[in-house]
Amino acid sequence: MSNVVVLDNGGGLLKAGHAGDDDPTTVIPNCLYRPLSSKKFIHPSPLFPSSTATEDLTSAAVRRPIDRGYLINPDLQRDIWSHLFSTHLKISPPNSTLLLTEPLFALPSIQRAADELVFEDFGFKSLHVADPAKLVHIYEANRQPHGLAATAQCSLVVDCGFSFTHATPVYQNVALSYAAKRIDLGGKALTNYLKELVSYRSVNVMDQSFIIDDVKEKLCFVSDDVARDLQIARRRGKDNLMRCTYVLPDGVTHTNGFVKDEKEAEGYKMLSLENIEDHGDSGERVQDRKKSDLNKNEFDLTNERFLVPEMLFHPVDLGLNQAGLAECIVRAVNACSSLLHPVLYESIILTGGSTLFPRFAERLELELRPLIPEDYHLKIITQEDPILGVWRGGSFLASSPEFEGTCVTKAEYEELGSARCRLKFSHGKV
Amino acid sequence: MDDEAPNSLRRMSSRTRKVAPKMVAALASTDNRTQAALARLEALENDNAGLETVEPIDDDEASLDDDDEGYVQKKAKGTKRKTRQAKALENARKPPRNFLELLHEANLESLPPQVPSYLRAAVGPPNSTCRRHFCTVCGFASTYTCVRCGMRFCSIRCQTIHDDTRCLKFVA
Repeated sequence: MSNVVVLDNGGGLLKAGHAGDDDPTTVIPNCLYRPLSSKKFIHPSPLFPSSTATEDLTSAAVRRPIDRGYLINPDLQRDIWSHLFSTHLKISPPNSTLLLTEPLFALPSIQRAADELVFEDFGFKSLHVADPAKLVHIYEANRQPHGLAATAQCSLVVDCGFSFTHATPVYQNVALSYAAKRIDLGGKALTNYLKELVSYRSVNVMDQSFIIDDVKEKLCFVSDDVARDLQIARRRGKDNLMRCTYVLPDGVTHTNGFVKDEKEAEGYKMLSLENIEDHGDSGERVQDRKKSDLNKNEFDLTNERFLVPEMLFHPVDLGLNQAGLAECIVRAVNACSSLLHPVLYESIILTGGSTLFPRFAERLELELRPLIPEDYHLKIITQEDPILGVWRGGSFLASSPEFEGTCVTKAEYEELGSARCRLKFSHGKV
Repeated sequence: MDDEAPNSLRRMSSRTRKVAPKMVAALASTDNRTQAALARLEALENDNAGLETVEPIDDDEASLDDDDEGYVQKKAKGTKRKTRQAKALENARKPPRNFLELLHEANLESLPPQVPSYLRAAVGPPNSTCRRHFCTVCGFASTYTCVRCGMRFCSIRCQTIHDDTRCLKFVA
């Protein structure tokens, strides 16, 4: 059997590797960036397997081939892919088959551009295009052969990624596109929101996307009671469990930003242990002032830490007139046949990088429970690595014996064109 | 948001190509606050906020751009400075760069209503319309609205900061 390459072409991270492997060979940011010191856009170094981030990412400009989740700049993508195939994967496309992920509802013009890229620019032998939701379902069903997702062949995949959030019911390994629902909020918008808040309140970081990404990953969490946590974030001094200081890189002693006090950052986890009472102002005002010294290349975060991920649950607060994640899930389920409802609620699979916020699943359960009928069970399955979930499903699908038959070969593409070939991925035959 | 009565008082420039599509919608709307809100949402999807001159600069890199721009490129190099016309030509020849432009081109509204599409997959407005308001200055729950721009603040202290820094910034 020939070499099959599995490529999860995400808006933020590109996950690539060989079919049958447990983990992708490499994970790199799907972008080109230009640091201040350079005039050219260069390729970022991979985050996986070894994160040797020696680059100086301060004030770097970024170009991404993907906008709002869809491939809109094939030229840029070709650049990134050819770098990926030659240096990281070391494959030759004409001898390989490609399994590519593409979100649901890709426009015909975008699909055509992707096909041209695969067959005409790289000349792959054959291609299979799959949507992420299906792959996550396949992975989960395969990982737990006796779980509900496998026995009922049905699950609800909540993919909260870089560009947007999808809730997609999957039935018998097919994503039910008529029932899929989308919130136009993802990791990128959250990072930009945090950037906006920090820039207004303390230090101007509007051009520091990579640093704020890091801040978001390290410090943000999902609150399970916003009103209470806002109260706590108001307190002064040591009573404020939310406050945390992030030190920006200074370019001399450290080129990466870091959290000043890791223990302080974990403070909010003690909330469940202590009982909440009102603390009066103690005389710590002076110390307070000293802390937020702007000359010292650092800034404090308090309520931003949980108000940023909060926007996924309440996009209205941001001015985006869309329902929150819990309601989105309910609507996706309600769009399916009522026979599926109990099963779907019992196998909700969380995937995507934005679900990595601590307590994401707990909060979702808290919000979802009142919205669904009380005699239904609710079970939220979290993946051990939500970023790689889609890729692993792809790896499994591509190593199954029937996979070869579901691909479109280069000859078929040349004869029938893009639109007809696409039918094969949805109906199984050309 | 839907009150797009063409505002004849506003003098619209013909150079709308450079403005993001949501911005165009916002400019067509009569309500300044809606404009500000839409522009802000658009900004959240921006890759290089704060570095707005990125796109024009990297036009000089032939390696990343289309080869068929050779004519314009050569001309630009010859004169060492692009004329306005050359720039306009270059912009006109570029394929749509933005997903929203592609979406507009695909004309999904014309599909029959039972066909699932990008537009119909959007989750839609929430059932309860209650919006929580946070102070734009400090982030805590806010009780007051700025009478000039509609932004929120929670106390006199925050109001002073708001007035001094970004009141009327978008809606002047």
